[in-house]
Amino acid sequence: MKKILLLIVGVLFTLTSFGQNNPSEINYGAVNTVTKVGDTLTVEFKYAKKDEGDATLLQFDFEWNNKLLNYQSVTWKTPSGASQTRNAWTGYKFNPKANSTESDMDVQYIWWRDEAGNNSYSTSADWSIDRITVQTASAYTDGDQIIEYKFIIKDKASTNYSNWNDILKVNWANFKKADGTQIQVTRPSDFLDLGSLEGGDAGSVTLKLSTKLLDNNVSDGTDYSYVIKNGAGETKASGDFDSSGEATVSGLENDVQYNISVSISDLPEYLGEVVTVADLALVFAEAIGAGSGPTGQTTTFDYYIQDIIADVVGTDNKVDFQDSYEILAYLQGVTSGNTNYITQAGTVHEYSGIKSTYGAYENNAVTFRNTFTPTDSDASSKTVEVAHGLRGDVNFSHSFEPSVSSGEKTTSAQTTSQSFRVSMAPGAKYNNTETANLDLVSEIKDGQVIFSINSQVADMVGSQFNIVYDKNILTLDDVIFDTGNTMTNFANIVEEGKVRVGSFDQNFEATVNQGTPYKLIFTPNEAIQNTSGLISFRVKEGVKADGTQILFNIQ
Amino acid sequence: MKKLLILFSLLFILGCAKDEDFIMVDPNQEVPEALVIKDLIGIKLENTIVSDRVSMNVKLPEAGTYRIKIRHGLNNELISQERLEVKEGDNILKVYVASLEKSAYMIQLTDDFHNVLGNESFVVN
Repeated sequence: MKKILLLIVGVLFTLTSFGQNNPSEINYGAVNTVTKVGDTLTVEFKYAKKDEGDATLLQFDFEWNNKLLNYQSVTWKTPSGASQTRNAWTGYKFNPKANSTESDMDVQYIWWRDEAGNNSYSTSADWSIDRITVQTASAYTDGDQIIEYKFIIKDKASTNYSNWNDILKVNWANFKKADGTQIQVTRPSDFLDLGSLEGGDAGSVTLKLSTKLLDNNVSDGTDYSYVIKNGAGETKASGDFDSSGEATVSGLENDVQYNISVSISDLPEYLGEVVTVADLALVFAEAIGAGSGPTGQTTTFDYYIQDIIADVVGTDNKVDFQDSYEILAYLQGVTSGNTNYITQAGTVHEYSGIKSTYGAYENNAVTFRNTFTPTDSDASSKTVEVAHGLRGDVNFSHSFEPSVSSGEKTTSAQTTSQSFRVSMAPGAKYNNTETANLDLVSEIKDGQVIFSINSQVADMVGSQFNIVYDKNILTLDDVIFDTGNTMTNFANIVEEGKVRVGSFDQNFEATVNQGTPYKLIFTPNEAIQNTSGLISFRVKEGVKADGTQILFNIQ
Repeated sequence: MKKLLILFSLLFILGCAKDEDFIMVDPNQEVPEALVIKDLIGIKLENTIVSDRVSMNVKLPEAGTYRIKIRHGLNNELISQERLEVKEGDNILKVYVASLEKSAYMIQLTDDFHNVLGNESFVVN
């Protein structure tokens, strides 16, 4: 008896299984691969027969996102002699039947036809409805194509969509056999999903500028401008940085490589204060102690980029005496006859590049990579940090000091250098600074205005003071040096009202006398009782033999 | 003739009157009102927003050598300094700003040993 029962159950189960029909399918998907905004997407619609019969009426309704797709064309794939129509409405979205299987296409069709009434579609600006109807005597069988659509992929910027995951789906299908029997239809997938694509408006890209000019509040970011070009060299964005050294750029595209250059847009007054005796000392040290150029075999420099910055005469990236004497001549106000690349008042020679690789040393060359590629998949790519530097500014007082490790010269190279790294351990940075007190004061004596620079600082092989005076009230008559017998002194009237005073021992042996090494004598052009504000000081720095920069603290 | 007699009589009467009845002796008489310093010591400018030059009062309890310093208004960096001999009381001087950059500054009075005796801010416009 037990066996009989088991047999009956088995037979019933088998009959039940054979009795289940797999419904037909409306298949739709991308024919081609799209990777970026602007690509053409081809979508085909096919009939999958499954356990249903051949179809002579195929009507289906689908919705597509008109914010992400731009309709281009259709190509009918219907049999010869078929009747076909396409209806389209913009601004609607289908409301599936509640408490039903949304993918059951014939159920949704019946819902639309018989039940929904005015509730079948809602207005929705982002969506469009297309309805395809094909009637043919030559029945559709398994795998036959119905129609092919072409869309252009639109940018998702300025939409409410963060990807192209849900761009198209079939709402319902009304497939019938030749005898009028309704065919069961399902859709095997919901939304056509393209995922994340490249390209499109990159949205806001933030630029951040790095330079010691900003760090030290010498200037603000408004002195700088940027230009962004594409690979074809076309300018895609340009403008000025804000006071904090940032700029917000729009109009760039995702996944497009751009290059950026940053420059000082005007010619600010501080350009005349960029190259000083501290830079001169570094260049002289390199010229004397190394001179082997960017190979770094023997060097006093810390970074490869200094080979370029210090090469102010010629473009061979080798630092030699010609460069050091050119800077000395510049400080002294002597015209050498050379074409030089010293950043100075009214003239700027500059570099810029992506901060993280600025001054990297690759393939025996110093590089200034300036390319970036914004992409949605990497939020950090929407912030571009750029660095800026000035030629002649060897100690980076007004420039960005490289942070990339490949830009640093090897300690071993510094070890083999000669005597100009005497108190500087290999690997230690040459741009160390010290602070020392100094007394700079003006006073009236015997009808003249005397400006004295009083120093008790020892071991200075060089010093420099940029003095500004009221040219309408004072006339500079004389500069009296008491710096020592072997110092090379300079008093360079850069322009009326500006004088650069200083000393430098190119042998790195003599030091500036303590006491009052510099005294400027002025004659007043009108009767004055006092001198407040008539004379002010800008650059005021000294340098030691080991390259240590002395920053004077004026009491 | 009668008028002349009356006029001379009036002049005679005025000439015999005590001076203090008509002349008030004010130690700040020559100090413009904008530069008056009530304390015994201090520094004061005639205007806060200045261009080219501005009058300044330096008031001190005793004569001697002092310093007037101009510091940058943001980082306090000293950018100009003079040493001068001043008399006791008010000293009306000048601050020349034509060669200073347009910015905010602080002017400072110190003794010759850099002890601060007074401060005032100003802006070069």
